[in-house]
Amino acid sequence: MNLDYTFSCVLPNGVHARPASSLEEAARRFQCEIRIHNGRTGRDGDAKSVLGILSTDIRLNDPCRLTTSGSDAREAMTALSGFIEKEFPGCDQPLVQLAGSASVRSLPPMLKAAGTEMLFGTPVSAGIGWGRVLRMGGLCIPASLDRGLESDAAGEMCRFDTILARVEKSYSDRLALLTSGPEADVIKAHRSVARDPGFRREIERAIMDRGRSIAGAVEEAEGAFTRMLVATGSLLLRERALDIQDVCGELIRQAYPNTVSADEHIRVAEDTVCVADCLTPGQFLALDRTYLKGLVLEHAGTTSHTVILARSFGIPCVIGVPGILDQVKPGAEIVVDANLGGVITRMTPVVRRYCDLERHRMEERRKRIAGVSRQPGLTRDQVRVEIAANVSSADEVGVAMTGGADGIGLFRTEMAFMGRDAPPSEEELYGSYRNAVEAANGKPVIIRTLDIGGDKPVPYLNIPPEENPFLGYRAMRIYPEFDSIIRAQVHALVRASAHGSLKVMVPMISCVEEAVWFKSLVAEEQAACRQAGIAFDEAMAVGAMVEIPAAVLALDALCGVLDFFSVGTNDLLQYFMAVDRGNQKVAGLYTPFNPAFLRLMKMAVEGAHSRGRWIGLCGEMGGQAECLPLLVGLGFDELSMASTRIPEIKAALGMLSSGECRALVEKVLACSTVADVTGELKRFPLQNERSLMDPELVVTGVDCGSKEEAIKIAVDRLYETGRVQQPRLVEEAVWVREAVSSTGFGHGFAIPHCKTNAVAANSLVVLKLRKPVGWGSLDGAPVGILILLAIRESDQATAHMRVLAALARRIMHEDFRARLVSESDPGALCAFLHEAVGGNGAHPRIL
Amino acid sequence: MKIVAVTGCPTGIAHTYMAAEQLEKTAKKLGYPIKVETQGAMGIENELSQKDIDSADVAILAADIALEGLERFARIKTVKIPVQAAIKDPDGIFTKLGEVAK
Repeated sequence: MNLDYTFSCVLPNGVHARPASSLEEAARRFQCEIRIHNGRTGRDGDAKSVLGILSTDIRLNDPCRLTTSGSDAREAMTALSGFIEKEFPGCDQPLVQLAGSASVRSLPPMLKAAGTEMLFGTPVSAGIGWGRVLRMGGLCIPASLDRGLESDAAGEMCRFDTILARVEKSYSDRLALLTSGPEADVIKAHRSVARDPGFRREIERAIMDRGRSIAGAVEEAEGAFTRMLVATGSLLLRERALDIQDVCGELIRQAYPNTVSADEHIRVAEDTVCVADCLTPGQFLALDRTYLKGLVLEHAGTTSHTVILARSFGIPCVIGVPGILDQVKPGAEIVVDANLGGVITRMTPVVRRYCDLERHRMEERRKRIAGVSRQPGLTRDQVRVEIAANVSSADEVGVAMTGGADGIGLFRTEMAFMGRDAPPSEEELYGSYRNAVEAANGKPVIIRTLDIGGDKPVPYLNIPPEENPFLGYRAMRIYPEFDSIIRAQVHALVRASAHGSLKVMVPMISCVEEAVWFKSLVAEEQAACRQAGIAFDEAMAVGAMVEIPAAVLALDALCGVLDFFSVGTNDLLQYFMAVDRGNQKVAGLYTPFNPAFLRLMKMAVEGAHSRGRWIGLCGEMGGQAECLPLLVGLGFDELSMASTRIPEIKAALGMLSSGECRALVEKVLACSTVADVTGELKRFPLQNERSLMDPELVVTGVDCGSKEEAIKIAVDRLYETGRVQQPRLVEEAVWVREAVSSTGFGHGFAIPHCKTNAVAANSLVVLKLRKPVGWGSLDGAPVGILILLAIRESDQATAHMRVLAALARRIMHEDFRARLVSESDPGALCAFLHEAVGGNGAHPRIL
Repeated sequence: MKIVAVTGCPTGIAHTYMAAEQLEKTAKKLGYPIKVETQGAMGIENELSQKDIDSADVAILAADIALEGLERFARIKTVKIPVQAAIKDPDGIFTKLGEVAK
């Protein structure tokens, strides 16, 4: 029986991967042959094959025909025509526009003036890096593998079918642990390729008819499908080619496990930027980090483990760059600029200069704060706040300590339990924890016990997926069921406590009963060690994460059971505000500056301190410089953060007065809106006692090619000296003023200036250029000396203003300018300025 | 010729004072008495009283912002210029003043 059904495509984006998968799933339930024909392209495809459907290249309004022929053709036709009418339109969602898409992001003036293009994404690990593109996740079949076959094609085909089934099953297994989300979509796509009859048929023909080996057949099939998909010209279909590459890669790895290891194609010997669709933590760790200068992932969550790893190793990383895989060729030189949040795909002399300036800016800053970070964390008025590091493996502890960590505030232990078929042995865990405390060299290491649940795929735990994993069975709630696993971990921790200062921290405590239960489990393992004559630290502290609002309100009672606390602000805020911050529609509510949340944190700190307990913080807030005055004012004993943030935060801490911070907290706790809180924060003087001028703000002999570059260099100087945290904001403010009228007032001088609270301390930068640059000055002459005035918006009527007014007046005089031109020593120039405009009885600190 | 002037610029941290200085410097060079009020980041300084203004021949308003107290100048001849002009060409402005004050 032959049946026809004609329809017109109603999907705005055409039949791309997702609707094709849905149609394929609906079609594969039937025995009969089902084909789909596109009247516009004249192409015909198997509707039980995603690749077959895609090859017909159906777009909006294309006239299409579905035919069924065979035993159950009638049932199939009824079902499928109904499916196409009713459900097909719902298979698609409009293409998601990334928040803050390219049109609203801006390039720095220096790059913009040179016509540089940037592909914007979401920056997740700060910094700038450049190198040659290494594409990962794509197909790479070693040349050593024989593409042809000596004999036994049937045996080879049989072997292929076994491997294909294994690969398909591994996708199904992973899917069983994921309910939805981008990762599930990707795996679903991979699985549909693995079970695509068109794909298998292509392989079968190559092996059986053309005598190819699995390597040869997979290579040919991958090539054929990729060509076909790319030929459609559709970006969505080209993405599909990557799925095929991934599946083919997996098949090759499984077929030749001895030849193709996971790190076969990732040996690099020059500066490299890794570009991939997504990267597993294992793949990331296998990369040689000496040469890895940047990471660009098309799909990855901002808190995925790979991203967390990249952050802790200081590798600049940008994710969610649409179309990046299509736009860069392996070997091309590209720039990952996580400071701007994008990728520059074409290296030009201006881009290279920009990169060098950026690197110089960050290196200078690093050098300047390196000294501070070796000192223990102290405020300006000598109040101690421990600045600690968050790590995910023992390897990272040494790095963190070298970077100035006062301890480890959070050692996440999940990594050792993931990506394997059985839990790690107690011995393995002990080794890792012992390494961690030894690397900390006497400084405290807080190790958090297993925080895992339905949202993380751990096959041997076999926790079924849940509707709502974040409110479900996770973290310490699963401990009673997995008694042997958690006991092994606690036993390992107790043993490791003999080798240094180890503290154990349990996640997701919501009530006292849980704390009592966990404490007794620890006591039992300690007793077991005691009995077995194993050394351990009798005084080992046991504490808890404070990440559920109930724990804050139960803190008084929890203090009776536990020794210390650490606030996990990410989860606490999500639970407190009932906001999934991954959901763009509500993410706006996720802000730590909500006064109610700050009151909750105040309760937590006061609750712990009133009972003499230590309380730290290990959420993302800890590493955010703008939160620091609040956290110091709230009275946290410790702030734990990505180790790369430590030097910066320690330097900022040293500028703060704890008394002023406490007064700030008093003010914000009385605020009623987020805007009120951020307003108070903006007005808060971060660096109250810094002088307006300093020899380190005088730079002479500067090589510079444009006005844009000169302003950048001057603003960067403020960043390097810690007077500005976000130089882009200050640069922008300077350019806003410059747009009103040029600040080049003639005679080769310019006084670019701005008033913004992005400046931490009022500052005056003098830049003397080796070669003058065009400025659009009043007299048309190029500018060789610029004096940048960067002023805080909130304190205008200070003595600094008087100095600036005096300077503005003096600079109108020939003799004054002549002296600025002739003096080349920064110290002498600074002294001269001081004498000329700030002297006259004024306190030397003012200038 | 007795002159009064007011200067003011958007950020009020540089051009206000540069312009004031240029006007004072040039007036001194040409031998004219002048009093310049600045409306900058420190607020109004060297404020012109109604008596100052009434006794002057001409007023220069060198500003890129809306100046405060403009009603004070209702009965006097004024020359309005961008603040940049006072910095760039003060001599030219004084030449023009002579014509206006006639």
